[in-house]
Amino acid sequence: MDFELTQEQKTIRDTAAQFVKHELEPIAAELDQTKNREKLKGILKKLADLGFMGLNVDRKYGGTAAGTVAFSLAMTELGRACASTTVTTSVTNMVAEVIQVVGSEPLREKYIPSLCNGEFAAGGFALTEAGAGSDPAAMRMSAVLDGDHWVLNGQKLFISSAEFAGVFVVWAVSDKEARKGKGISCFLVEPSFPGLRIGKEEKKLGQLASPTNELICDNCLVPKENLLGVPNDGFRIAAAELAGGRIGIGSMSLGIGLAAMDFARDYVKEQARLDLPAFRRRGADRMLADNTTRLAGARFLLLRAAFLKDQKTFYAKEASMAKVYATEAANQACHDAMEILGDYGYTQDCPVERFYRDVRVTSIYEGTSEIQRLIIARELLR
Amino acid sequence: MLKVITCFKWVIDEADVKVDASSRRLILDRVGYKISLYDRNAIEEAALLQEKHGASIVAVTVAPPTAKQCLKDALSRGADKACFVNDPSLVDLEPTQTAALLAAAIKGQGDFDLILCGEGSSDLYTQQVGPILAEKLGIPCGTYVNKLTVIEGEKRVIAERKLDDCVEIVSIQLPALVTVLPDINTPRIPTLKQVLAAGKKPVDNITLDKLESPSEPGLETTSILGATMERRRLKFGAEAENIRAAVGALLKEGVIT
Amino acid sequence: MHLELTEEQQLVRASVREFCEKYIEPLADAVDQEPCFPSENVKRLAEQDWLGIPYPEEYGGAGADYLTHIIAVEELSRACAATGSIVEANASLVGFPLFKFGTEEQRKKYLTPLCKGEMLGAFAWTEAGAATVAYGATTAVSEGNEYVLNGAKTFVLYAPVAGVFIVFAATDKSKGTEGLSAFIVPADTPGIKAGEQVKKMGLRGALTSELVLKDCRIPKENLLGQEGQGFTIATTTLDGCRIGIAAQALGIAEAALEESVRYSKERVQFDKPICTFQAIQWMLANMAIEVEVSRYLTYHAAWCYDQGLPYSKEAAMAKLMASQTAVRQTDTAVQIHGGIGTVKGQKVERLYRDAKITQIYEGTPDVMRMTIADSLLQ
Repeated sequence: MDFELTQEQKTIRDTAAQFVKHELEPIAAELDQTKNREKLKGILKKLADLGFMGLNVDRKYGGTAAGTVAFSLAMTELGRACASTTVTTSVTNMVAEVIQVVGSEPLREKYIPSLCNGEFAAGGFALTEAGAGSDPAAMRMSAVLDGDHWVLNGQKLFISSAEFAGVFVVWAVSDKEARKGKGISCFLVEPSFPGLRIGKEEKKLGQLASPTNELICDNCLVPKENLLGVPNDGFRIAAAELAGGRIGIGSMSLGIGLAAMDFARDYVKEQARLDLPAFRRRGADRMLADNTTRLAGARFLLLRAAFLKDQKTFYAKEASMAKVYATEAANQACHDAMEILGDYGYTQDCPVERFYRDVRVTSIYEGTSEIQRLIIARELLR
Repeated sequence: MLKVITCFKWVIDEADVKVDASSRRLILDRVGYKISLYDRNAIEEAALLQEKHGASIVAVTVAPPTAKQCLKDALSRGADKACFVNDPSLVDLEPTQTAALLAAAIKGQGDFDLILCGEGSSDLYTQQVGPILAEKLGIPCGTYVNKLTVIEGEKRVIAERKLDDCVEIVSIQLPALVTVLPDINTPRIPTLKQVLAAGKKPVDNITLDKLESPSEPGLETTSILGATMERRRLKFGAEAENIRAAVGALLKEGVIT
Repeated sequence: MHLELTEEQQLVRASVREFCEKYIEPLADAVDQEPCFPSENVKRLAEQDWLGIPYPEEYGGAGADYLTHIIAVEELSRACAATGSIVEANASLVGFPLFKFGTEEQRKKYLTPLCKGEMLGAFAWTEAGAATVAYGATTAVSEGNEYVLNGAKTFVLYAPVAGVFIVFAATDKSKGTEGLSAFIVPADTPGIKAGEQVKKMGLRGALTSELVLKDCRIPKENLLGQEGQGFTIATTTLDGCRIGIAAQALGIAEAALEESVRYSKERVQFDKPICTFQAIQWMLANMAIEVEVSRYLTYHAAWCYDQGLPYSKEAAMAKLMASQTAVRQTDTAVQIHGGIGTVKGQKVERLYRDAKITQIYEGTPDVMRMTIADSLLQ
């Protein structure tokens, strides 16, 4: 048992922290309030240049090959400043990894470098539909092979970065006759493919800097070779890759929670310095201690899941545990931070207001807490 | 001082084996491993001989390199040295193949007095490795032994063989091979100091290039399916009527005729 | 970073587990219900080298790391929290101050028999009016070559069976905590006497009683550390112990989870095993998550201890989380079991009662929170 990070892991964490301090934090509030996409893309490009878009991707495809632990650390650091930027980075990493794990060599060579080097502003992960959220096997998007092309029809919902993603991983039913969940395939779709349309942008509670749109396939033509992996094996791919994505989302939420708590702690310290003795007795101490403990626990669950993934062993249960715990702990931390800060925390002058809005979705997307618990229970009852 | 060799097998922990309900296929993807139970008795017997007569103990196993953890386990149970014949190909071996590799490795260890093996392994339980190994080494073999006494100064052991309907007591000239039954002793639980010392004991790492390749397998396993026990979950009362119904049900199932 | 136990630690876990199945589980109910002290098992624990795991071999210890001790306490507590507590209290509560603050002679004389299981020790800190801070109703007066101790201690774990006590007493009452000193008092010293046993809700096999000191004379060389160092000795000791209590709570919570998984697979209602219902699956998942969180907070605190890093906050976080988890999850386990879970002889019934004390002794949750908050706000 060794909790000490390797030099490489420390370097990546520290690079992320430096980036946060100098580049991201100064503009995070502005990104949120103005939804300035160009600025966001600028930030994403800088992250790509630093190697943050393919942290767990082989160097030969332009990745950093630093492993999942480093990925988790990086997402936590970025999450401290701006969830919108972080979720985009996390999803882009996931897309690059999916292609690396299941894609053919030509697909890898064609798409991964562009994701890693920032030529693509982001990658998109198109699984959810109106009727297929927690139950993705219920999806209706269809794919029919016609000569050299697959023809995709249907609508995806809540697709992060759809507005500017360079490539989408899209799931569709390719065998209608198969048992539920067994006839789904996975495709790489470029925004320029005929028949692909980006639909309306959602108006959201938080993570405002990151656009979320519908994705519509209206006889969308996808070259035959853009099928990812084996036909009708898509559901298994989704299940496996989402587990990796959960480490990313959990790590990001940890960052948000830590930032909220740090802010609250500094505030309490300042109040204590101003000699307001009653202040600490108002329960702030308790909340600081409880949240710090939960967030420390969340950190270990995330690192443990990441470690297991790097060991190439089973990690789905651990990733689910880490996600559900980290995202719920982070939600609680943001709530309590605002409680400690009082009215000030509720205003847009205070970053905790944004953290509070940004953190809410983390226990929902990439598998709700409820679904995570079912996954965990299934593993326990094996 | 006696020179004792114990052979052991690193087997799947049967408690971790799950059976797929529909296909009856064994699900082995997350199983743990352990030293085969009877082999623990063999190692324990060696440790007891060491306490009583003074002996050196070498524990030998044949396994893929991923089984490395078995070495510290065996060494913590009393062996002075481990001999690890390993190669990624050494999985699902037949008894003849295992015995041939063990024989080659043991020959490389110099003279010995006694080889102790478990009666059979707790996974496949073929009970063949011991006798075949003795044959390959050209030494006598005593099987089903549940009591073993070394006659000091005579290079001889007295072994009680527990057979189906009798106990046979034999005197075996050393060097010899003995396979032991679980009744022979109760394996001790390694103490912490033994566990810590295990990591400092020597290991002979023997890769296949140092030995002859094992012979080709003669058997092909086409499938392994879990045995299932079907339960009808019928309940009967104690009235004469119910008893007739119970007998009828047993007749119908062919349990009685 | 390598978040997995070493091969040795895994072997220790396996050997403790095997030991528990063979010797501890069969006795656990009797230990709880009579209650009785499992002295046979204490002898066996000593033979396994588990009573002084983190101390050097020259003092009879095993010379392993603290994490190994933590794993042993966790595994033993999974089977019987009272037995886990023997190993924990002996090594951390009594062994630690002797090792850390004792002279070479004191270590040889007292730590060695503790590690070898020749006798057990007890830590006499709490007084009737002072739990978290002992304020010194017990006094020690210097007389020639001796100290004379007078007073009474309450809730002294293992007092009825201990061979040696670490007694905290005021050498200078005017100085408050700065005037406290620690003394080594062998149980056969005239004037020291274990009082009536306390009847407890849980951890009943961990016999507990009052300790009365009446003109108890001990030689000067039995002072542990310096005069006035008592408070430091106690708080330093308790910091490390908190990791051990966390491990104990962790073991209890793990057992609750295992029992619940097993029972929910067997118990049929509405024609289905109850584990097929989402409500039960949720409970199981929550248990598993909190057990896992507690485990890594505990291992991390132990790792910090082994690395020589500060571990006070880490130990407090581990104990806070693990003890809360044990209390919450033994409650869930009883809930999953339903009525049968409240019946004597059911393991979860015992776990439910055993869990509570982990939230109380060696610091309540709010004391843990104070420690954590103080370190955050420094």
